[in-house]
Amino acid sequence: MRLSVAAAISHGRVYRRLGLSPRSRLDLLRNLVTALVRYERIETPWARADEMRGYAERLIDYAKRGDRDERAMRMADFWLTEKDLIHKLFKVLAPRFQTHPGSYTRLLQIPNRDGLDRAKMAVIELKGNPLPPLVRPRRDSDKTLLNQLLKGYRQDARPRGTPV
Amino acid sequence: MAVLVLVRSPLPRLRAVFQRCWGRLERGLWPGVFGGQSPPWGPALAVQGAALVPGGINDASESSAEALSLLGSVMWMAAPKHRRTIEVNRCRRRHPSKLIEIKRNIDVCPECGNLKQKHVLCGYCYAKVKEETRLIRMEIYKKEGRPFNSPTVETVVLYEGEKPTEADEGKRIIERARKRPSWFVQN
Repeated sequence: MRLSVAAAISHGRVYRRLGLSPRSRLDLLRNLVTALVRYERIETPWARADEMRGYAERLIDYAKRGDRDERAMRMADFWLTEKDLIHKLFKVLAPRFQTHPGSYTRLLQIPNRDGLDRAKMAVIELKGNPLPPLVRPRRDSDKTLLNQLLKGYRQDARPRGTPV
Repeated sequence: MAVLVLVRSPLPRLRAVFQRCWGRLERGLWPGVFGGQSPPWGPALAVQGAALVPGGINDASESSAEALSLLGSVMWMAAPKHRRTIEVNRCRRRHPSKLIEIKRNIDVCPECGNLKQKHVLCGYCYAKVKEETRLIRMEIYKKEGRPFNSPTVETVVLYEGEKPTEADEGKRIIERARKRPSWFVQN
């Protein structure tokens, strides 16, 4: 009777294994969260960015409770290693995202790293940051074939002016 | 995430078992193996005591044991019997599962015209934005003076000849000494 799970199966496991140990994984993610709050846009391997995203958004949810809240302050104290960022979190980021119901970060993939490992990299940024935008929202041009056909259809469907 | 699975080859086990059997044969602990006769490779005369050259006998038995166990282990290894022809080799090497998959998700970036993958940002446009971000961060660092001095107000970046609007009340202003780039739209 097999009493333990085979080593290669990981059904339903949500946390990735990063770093040297579980404590090291938390330290890694903590450094990344601190960097994100400081610089508002960071470039890191995709797996780390994806892992860190959940923690960063939960931290902002805690910050939205206000700095009078004991749990929120303890969370901010643990997750932000640079203590001047606690002020930034509660006074800048919490008001910025007060009206947003969720999803305060944007995760986009960038071309693989130039080094030997060709790692899958991503850039993660807080929405509403003052830096130049990474992706410009594209509106469909009027000159595309489909739009020209639709325009013609609309003109045909409109009732013609009274003939002279 | 990678999980190491240790697979131990069966060969050392078999080799250990073989050596143990051999040791037993040598010491005469398996009397029934040769049907009552003495082993054919052993000495014809049993010599009393360990008087005559005990080291020599041991070496001979060890070397013969090693040589015979090497032959034994060689006998147990798999080896190809026939040459694989070039036709068979070609079939194996050029099978579709071994060829590199062609990517069909490559597009042209509408901003700069370089090639990009559909789900990935354009490398050229990202490099442009990254450079501008770096320059803005240098200005921020100059304004802050020392490290760990991030302000408690929002930040806004203004280029040459721009005035802060009423939406920028109370924000820290970062000046960049150049014309506003076309892809950085002022909100």
